[in-house]
Amino acid sequence: MAVDITLLFRASVKTVKTRNKALGVAVGGGVEGSRDELFRRSPRPKGDFSSRAREVISHIGKLRDFLLEHRKDYINAYSHVVSEYGRMTDTERDQIDQDAQTFMRTCSEAIQQLRAQAHKEIHSQQVKEHRSAVLDFIEDYLKRVCKLYSEQRAIRVKRVVDKKRLSKLEPEPNTKPRESMSSEKVSQTLSKDSEEKPVTEEYPEKIPAETQPGLGTWGDGKGEDELSPEEIQMFEQENQRLIGEMNSLFDEVRQIEGKVVEISRLQEIFTEKVLQQEAEIDNIHQLVVGATENIKEGNEDIRERNDETKRFPKSWQQLQCDTKTPVVCTGITNTTVAYCLQQNVKECFHCKL
Amino acid sequence: MVGVKMAAAAAASIRERQTVALKRMLNFNVPHVKNSTGEPVWKVLIYDRFGQDIISPLLSVKELRDMGITLHLLLHSDRDPIPDVPAVYFVMPTEENIDRMCQDLRNQLYESYYLNFISAISRGKLEDIANAALAASAVTQVAKVFDQYLNFITLEDDMFVLCNQNKELVSYRAINRPDITDTEMETVMDTIVDSLFCFFVTLGAVPIIRCSRGTAAEMVAVKLDKKLRENLRDARNSLFTGDTLGAGQFSFQRPLLVLVDRNIDLATPLHHTWTYQALVHDVLDFHLNRVNLEESSGVENSPAGARPKRKNKKSYDLTPVDKFWQKHKGSPFPEVAESVQQELESYRAQEDEVKRLKSIMGLEGEDEGAISMLSDNTAKLTSAVSSLPELLEKKRLIDLHTNVATAVLEHIKARKLDVYFEYEEKIMSKTTLDKSLLDIISDPDAGTPEDKMRLFLIYYISAQQAPSEADLEQYKKALTDAGCNLNPLQYIKQWKAFAKMASAPTSYGSTTTKPMGLLSRVMNTGSQFVMEGVKNLVLKQQNLPVTRILDNLMEMKSNPETDDYRYFDPKMLRGNDSSVPRNKNPFQEAIVFVVGGGNYIEYQNLVDYIKGKQGKHILYGCSELFNATQFIKQLSQLGQK
Repeated sequence: MAVDITLLFRASVKTVKTRNKALGVAVGGGVEGSRDELFRRSPRPKGDFSSRAREVISHIGKLRDFLLEHRKDYINAYSHVVSEYGRMTDTERDQIDQDAQTFMRTCSEAIQQLRAQAHKEIHSQQVKEHRSAVLDFIEDYLKRVCKLYSEQRAIRVKRVVDKKRLSKLEPEPNTKPRESMSSEKVSQTLSKDSEEKPVTEEYPEKIPAETQPGLGTWGDGKGEDELSPEEIQMFEQENQRLIGEMNSLFDEVRQIEGKVVEISRLQEIFTEKVLQQEAEIDNIHQLVVGATENIKEGNEDIRERNDETKRFPKSWQQLQCDTKTPVVCTGITNTTVAYCLQQNVKECFHCKL
Repeated sequence: MVGVKMAAAAAASIRERQTVALKRMLNFNVPHVKNSTGEPVWKVLIYDRFGQDIISPLLSVKELRDMGITLHLLLHSDRDPIPDVPAVYFVMPTEENIDRMCQDLRNQLYESYYLNFISAISRGKLEDIANAALAASAVTQVAKVFDQYLNFITLEDDMFVLCNQNKELVSYRAINRPDITDTEMETVMDTIVDSLFCFFVTLGAVPIIRCSRGTAAEMVAVKLDKKLRENLRDARNSLFTGDTLGAGQFSFQRPLLVLVDRNIDLATPLHHTWTYQALVHDVLDFHLNRVNLEESSGVENSPAGARPKRKNKKSYDLTPVDKFWQKHKGSPFPEVAESVQQELESYRAQEDEVKRLKSIMGLEGEDEGAISMLSDNTAKLTSAVSSLPELLEKKRLIDLHTNVATAVLEHIKARKLDVYFEYEEKIMSKTTLDKSLLDIISDPDAGTPEDKMRLFLIYYISAQQAPSEADLEQYKKALTDAGCNLNPLQYIKQWKAFAKMASAPTSYGSTTTKPMGLLSRVMNTGSQFVMEGVKNLVLKQQNLPVTRILDNLMEMKSNPETDDYRYFDPKMLRGNDSSVPRNKNPFQEAIVFVVGGGNYIEYQNLVDYIKGKQGKHILYGCSELFNATQFIKQLSQLGQK
């Protein structure tokens, strides 16, 4: 268990002060000392970097507080049903979304600016490292706060999509007998709090019900007193067929929507990964370019050496003494060089990816 | 029920406690709470080499980053002023460190200072800092000063070492050399006791101490008892009161501290071993949970005449997060080889799964059937993508262990360590030997001269009677021919003579090892670990002397070996020299501390021993950790005098 000896330290400071006073040592102790301290503290450069960094942090903090404050209202889906207080219209929600987005963009730009500035200024290695680490922390903070935002937005989008899906069940002209039934259905499902429940099971239930719409529900006057039984049957069959078609279309659309959402999630992940790899691939590119240069130069040197030995044939030993390297066979061809280059590139890929 | 739960909770590992203490320190001495939307706070960490050794097995650089540390620097290095940043210091309160800190204060390097001393700082030195702070008008900048009482290094959940930097000071050699003066001995003892005291403060318990008579361990016990007693009596500053102990109080049972001296068992540090962790420590460069390997990069056929490829140095950290390591560090080596194979195969299967999905995705838009398959596969793909990081991590660990195990295997094959292991086990358990010792020593293929020396020393130590002069001469000649240095033997002779006078030589129990023939299965599966010619030896559980002593004391068994051990209870008001233990119940928790050095073999033996016992826990500690090479060096230095 750690022991806090700060008080002991302060007591030691007092002891030393009194001792120094007693000994008449002129040290920065006593009243003058504290004044000196104040003076000495103010002209010290406050550090432009850190004050700006703290500014960015406080901005992000404000955004976070704002999001948290309105989170409950934002998510509350039944604002049209429930009390007065929690109401938030869609326009308000859109406003929040937009504001949050612009805010996040400005914050990340500010971070980029700070980063550029920090790199430009000439400082010691330690200070540079420290600053880039600080900027990493701030970015991470921003990411966490953005996560808050994206989470609640995802919930909202999902609800909106579900709602839209349900409200698309608009009555069609030749299915008027089902008008009342479908509106019943919609209200039923809405009130049932069923975002996930497939609505398809409602249909089969209602189909037997609607087979007896009765001629009485034909609100719009076709002007005919009665339809022949064959026509009625034909219409009924057509109705059923249409219902079937609607069902399958509906299913497919739902499936596709689900898949699209998943795919977009995946794409987000992939974009992130690709961005991460971008930096590494740049690195590799540099390395490979450098390696090519080196090999080229090496090639030149070897060619020169080749020519030299052809002109001035020496014994192996002499060569070795001269060059102090193990004797390299002069028969190095371009294929060997190409092989080396290939290996280099392979190595780079191996270790980076 | 509650009692059992509390006892289990109380045995929180020492590693956890130290980590928690460090994290709290890094959080400006306030308990650390994770907050996902908390503002970032940044700070700089300054440590000395002691601090570095303590922190590095516990916190990785990433974890330091997570705590908000942007830079971590050595105290005695060139440091530039970094404005507007608080600095956390974690150093030992030595003269040079204090001077350097005062210099920092004068140079106004940082915004504010949080000073943490690894062990308690003296009043005088505190005043030195106060002086410097006053001179620099920096008193208000010194925000907090703490005594951390963390002067020990935790390597495992249940294993700790006293120090790494000043090993020389408390080494076996330092304690046992004949020319040591009283004052030097006092210093050594004080260092050990200080660390042990810090250990118990962090553990939050006051132990009952047992130690053998007439050894360095006894000196340590007396001093430790005194120190604990003084601290308990000092009601105002006691470190063991209820509130400082927190949730880890051993409310029902106090732990047992068994202090043993290295001299009761010199054979174990020389022993060749067969379990993974102990092998890595013996054969490779392994300390503070980091292993350094030298490997030649690739075995491609380089074009004729090209310069030889440079050897790569690689170092790996073997951490608690590494599940494979945690599971297999005590397993016999062949088992480890097999497990690595298995892990590799299961990893490959998972990789194939992911690749298969990739090809299925290529069918997108072709036909109805594919589209319906697609909907499942989208989900599968999502799960595959999210499990990718896990998979990569697994791959990294498999690579790591493949490399380490291969390196170990190379050593085993080159030096025929399995033969040595088997032979030594036989010697130590006094079963009949099928090969003569002289044969092994004279065999030029088997092992380095050091291996042979180790084998011979074990033989010498465990022999009931010393071999006859003629025999001894023969052995000596054979050893010198093999290239061994005979100094360690000198020392062991002296030691043996002394040990005989003091007490009966310890026996190592009578068990056998069963060689199970060649590892044909591994070979057949075409694994990388071709353990051809390496015996698959099964370790039979036998108790090393240290484990036996612990067993006697913990279970309150009566045994001539341990009956006259001294008994100390710092909490008791009266004197301290009773040999009669007041507590008659077996202990649930015990700490074994070896004064003079320990090693992984003993540690593993204790772990195996306690595995069978439900609800009991053991912690193992030693003043320094050495492998056989280092120990032989110390013996050789001792033998030279």
